[in-house]
Amino acid sequence: MGVPQVAASRGGRIPGEAGVWFFILGDMVMFGLFFTVFVYYRAADVELFAAAQHSLNQTYGALNTLLLLTSSWFVVHAVESARGDHAPRARALLACAFLCGLGFLVVKYFEYGEKIRAGLTITSNDFFMYYYMLTGIHLLHVTLGMGVLAYLWQRLRGGTQLGAHMSALESGASFWHMVDILWIVLFALVYLMR
Amino acid sequence: MNTRNQLLCAWCGVAFAILFTLGFWPLSHFMPPPSPNASALDVATMYREHTNQIRLGLLVMMGASGCILPFAAVISAQMKRMEDGPSVLSYLQLASGALGVVFFIMPCLLWSIAAFRPERDAELIQLMNDAGWMVFLMPFTTFMVQNIAIGLAVLGDRSTQPVFPRWVAYLNFWVAVLFLPGGLLTFFKTGPFAWNGLFAFWVPFVVFFTWYVVMFALLRKGIIAQAQPAGAR
Repeated sequence: MGVPQVAASRGGRIPGEAGVWFFILGDMVMFGLFFTVFVYYRAADVELFAAAQHSLNQTYGALNTLLLLTSSWFVVHAVESARGDHAPRARALLACAFLCGLGFLVVKYFEYGEKIRAGLTITSNDFFMYYYMLTGIHLLHVTLGMGVLAYLWQRLRGGTQLGAHMSALESGASFWHMVDILWIVLFALVYLMR
Repeated sequence: MNTRNQLLCAWCGVAFAILFTLGFWPLSHFMPPPSPNASALDVATMYREHTNQIRLGLLVMMGASGCILPFAAVISAQMKRMEDGPSVLSYLQLASGALGVVFFIMPCLLWSIAAFRPERDAELIQLMNDAGWMVFLMPFTTFMVQNIAIGLAVLGDRSTQPVFPRWVAYLNFWVAVLFLPGGLLTFFKTGPFAWNGLFAFWVPFVVFFTWYVVMFALLRKGIIAQAQPAGAR
């Protein structure tokens, strides 16, 4: 039933609906611009950036990375479950991914809190401008992604005829994976790169 | 089908884009935008040296801004075709689109006030200049709401021949996201997030006018398609 829409050559099929890739790639271009600008300005003042980087909590960063990677794993399996028509399992997995996202938010709350208490704010210096702007806009995307996951969870409530929902599921999953990838690049550039 | 009036409204969008850029660029001396880090004296000097040019440019910009309204109206007219029942998203687009006009007209007035008495204290001119730029580039909310409304309507279009292709929804969502960094110019006097920076000015500027061009092309197509005899729909 949901199968006929799959193109004859499996290898040539784009997950989700084509339009959503416009948004995903557009978003990646925007973040690519952010990252490029960050690297450019960092090269102009490596000492300041390297020194400021020391104040970052790598543990929180690593924890967030772990949370997002785990959530992506959950999402992959949720899509698989839906493909196999196992609605309750798919929903449970989506909920787990959502909770990972929530965990990410909680860690960020503590991380930002720690920085602000130490007097490191968005106007402290250039490094922290980029730190707050990049992680902040990414955080917004995580929140948006959580909204998408919640919407998908709600949509699978019927429990049957999952074929009709596959396009939306794949689109939403792709968005979530993008959010994950962006974080990995961000983590590497902002937290780790020496 | 009111084709002629709809097309007229759509062309107003083109008029806005061209006239506003004309007023902004060669006339007002606002391209590239003066740095928020400039001294009060530098800002005052700019207004004192180019007074009448700035005043004229601002008039053109303000007049052009009126053309935003018909454009918003025709977008809603087409959105109504996408919505089943009470066309709440069309109302939302109209409301937010109309409200957005304020953030084009107000800055022109504030800058005009700066240019009104150039012999004023430099600090006061700088204050009005600040006010103009912040009112111009900081408000992202109404524009985001407008774009999201359009996107949601396009996604919800269940007709056999959708008014707009589905990628238009995602384009609008992307545009909405790109307006976001503008709000943060409140924190910065230099760098890419200041009001003359890459993310607060240049990206929104390019994206905003590209959106106008793309939406115009789509609207024109949609309006003409609507005018086709019922069998073709």
